[in-house]
Amino acid sequence: MREGIAIWEELEIGQRQCAVWRFPYRHIFVERVDIEWHVLSLPAEGKNQSLCTFIERSGKPVSSAWRHYLAHDFPLVLPVPVLPDRPVVVRPDRPLTILPGESAQFFLEIPVWFRLTSAGGGSIRIFEEPLRILSNTWFGDPLNGELCYSLDIRLHQSIQSVPMCAGSAVCPLHLTNDSNSDLPFEKVCLHVENLSVFKSGTRLWTNGLNVIFKGSEQATQIQITGGVPDFEENLFLASGARQPAEGWSIKKTFSMLKYFTEL
Amino acid sequence: MFFEDVKNWFGSLSSIFSPEFLTKALWIALTVIIGFSLVRLLAVLIERYIMRRSTPQRKMIARKVISYSGFVIVGLILLRELGVEVTALLAGAGIVGIAVGFASQTSVSNIVSGLFLISEKPFAVGDVIKVGSVTGIIQSIDLLSIKIRTFDNLFVRIPNEKILTSEVTNVTRFPIRRMDITLQVSYREDLGRVMDVLTDITRKNPLCLDEPEPLILFTEFKESGIEVLVGLWFGKNDFLSLKNSIMKDIAARFAAEGIRFSSPRRSVTLENRDFFELNDKA
Repeated sequence: MREGIAIWEELEIGQRQCAVWRFPYRHIFVERVDIEWHVLSLPAEGKNQSLCTFIERSGKPVSSAWRHYLAHDFPLVLPVPVLPDRPVVVRPDRPLTILPGESAQFFLEIPVWFRLTSAGGGSIRIFEEPLRILSNTWFGDPLNGELCYSLDIRLHQSIQSVPMCAGSAVCPLHLTNDSNSDLPFEKVCLHVENLSVFKSGTRLWTNGLNVIFKGSEQATQIQITGGVPDFEENLFLASGARQPAEGWSIKKTFSMLKYFTEL
Repeated sequence: MFFEDVKNWFGSLSSIFSPEFLTKALWIALTVIIGFSLVRLLAVLIERYIMRRSTPQRKMIARKVISYSGFVIVGLILLRELGVEVTALLAGAGIVGIAVGFASQTSVSNIVSGLFLISEKPFAVGDVIKVGSVTGIIQSIDLLSIKIRTFDNLFVRIPNEKILTSEVTNVTRFPIRRMDITLQVSYREDLGRVMDVLTDITRKNPLCLDEPEPLILFTEFKESGIEVLVGLWFGKNDFLSLKNSIMKDIAARFAAEGIRFSSPRRSVTLENRDFFELNDKA
């Protein structure tokens, strides 16, 4: 049995063995039969614990949703945490106004997707599944906005208050209000498809984001820290960004009442 | 006598299939094969490499322009090889073209309409449009007509002139849309609770956009219940999934909460009960 962050490590699944990865919102069953991989993803409720175990084949769920993949005869699989495939609009649990000249560091929990690949050189992607189904939302005006996922989160200002969860990655967000007006932090659109995931002994992390707000008339500057986040030691890359980050740095990120009402 | 005829026939054949004739025939055959192949190759190369980031509609137009122009050029080369005076032919074709144009004004109107449609771009190949009673995916936009594949897999050709003069709805032009669902709940229901339950249903359905916010509106006092409009915003590709899931969600949740849909009902009030009782006794 593996617990916590260790569930993102290589696993050897023998012939006719069935492994299950249990996350707070989703259980993923993987069974190997000859050169076939049988996969079942089921929604789950409750337990805030992540673990990976083997179960008896007789105890596996009976469902018509099992998917079957034909692949090479490789016993080792590697579960990889990847970030969602669309931007995520994050809404803090409390509206926070950042006064002019102020800056703050926040830690946002972004639910990751589960990607199962064959381990070793020339890894093959077997399947990919979101660990938590996020609601869709639209960011921007009806003509020029973009389809995103919506996520209500608790705004953490200290990493110690962020719960350890193998199903989500911590995104360090540094906000600076470099304008003469208040910055109401009601929601922020994070282009997570441009971010990588890093793994430590305890948590998953994404690249750090440095957002500088210069007023509603000017584009908000967003910088992605290229290397590993410096909030924890011994981090290494778990998965790269889905898309390169070019062109993202000048997008308007904040949604403010003033911004919308002026349109 | 018979052998003499056969000999003469073979003699005439040999005069027809002279070396000059065979050379010309070979040259024409090569021109046809190589010319048409080159035109097709050019169209494919431009579509795949030069216009690889263009929209399917632009690719289709480019392919047709290249193909038709190339085929006309190859045809003119062939005619010249056959000894036809191309300049005179073109002049003649102009006169014939005018005559044919007058005779087929509808076609000319369709061509002009097609040019307007191509320049105005109210829709593109791959869009879902609604014209009159026809709804389907655009397969091609040509000079004379547009071709549509309906969702029950029928091929529909609509002349461009009709498109230009009709009301056309482009269903997939914008990335998000609103789906309106109309319900009728019983007069006995608490409307505040109905609104809370509907809000919760829409909030929990991941395909329903959080923003723009769903619209829940009590629209009318109907004969047998109160009409409620539920307007849900969604990504344009999620229409079927959302429709199915939200209908199931509403039915299940209303059943769980004990909220009743209205059903046709007629209340009869007896104004003069004594009259009916007396009649019954009689």
